[in-house]
Amino acid sequence: MACFTVTAATAIGVAVARHIVKHNEKKQEKMEITTTEVDTLKTSKKLGILEIALFGGSFLLAGEHVLHGEVTFTFPFLTAINEGTDAVKGMLFEMGTVGVGMTLAIVAVWGAALLVRKLLLKRKAKEVKE
Amino acid sequence: MYFLVALGMSIISLCLFLFVKTKRNLHFEFLVFTFGAATLMWLIDCIAGAIEEGQFLSFELPLDIWISVWTVVGGIAFYLLLLLIFTIKDKKQKVVTE
Repeated sequence: MACFTVTAATAIGVAVARHIVKHNEKKQEKMEITTTEVDTLKTSKKLGILEIALFGGSFLLAGEHVLHGEVTFTFPFLTAINEGTDAVKGMLFEMGTVGVGMTLAIVAVWGAALLVRKLLLKRKAKEVKE
Repeated sequence: MYFLVALGMSIISLCLFLFVKTKRNLHFEFLVFTFGAATLMWLIDCIAGAIEEGQFLSFELPLDIWISVWTVVGGIAFYLLLLLIFTIKDKKQKVVTE
């Protein structure tokens, strides 16, 4: 009913976090603070990947909900709101279970991909040292 | 049905990203992230449907065809929008560094 709103809200949160991290990274660059980390991909870029995934996924699901007639372009946007308290309860339950599940799945896959990348880079660095 | 379409598009975009290495400026990774995330989200939706109604995949024709068309067109439109934003950003950075 409105499960994609959880992912969309998370995407907005990630976008804000990415801007703050990017600002801090620029500050560090100006102060010429260098790190000894093997991974050259900046944290802001890593968050950017998550942001694109969350926004892209919720954009496609929003279209699906519009075609299903669950979301309209006029206020209050969600048709379940006009269908009584039971429908609203059902919508909130779906957001809490399916919506949160979707968000956690995307974050988990993103985290796992970054972890695999880190491990591969570490192994490569070890091979170069040897 | 649209879950299967999204899955197919994820595989196609992943192949584009992995095998078309000469055109890095086309940022095929955006397509992979968009379709990959949508596939994952619809997978969770299908699992929830299977738990509630006992049916993993449902086919509601002709609505599912329209949603499938939206999946492909919407995903590509989102990719083109991102590509436009990143191309403008890259050009601005080049001007600053020059």
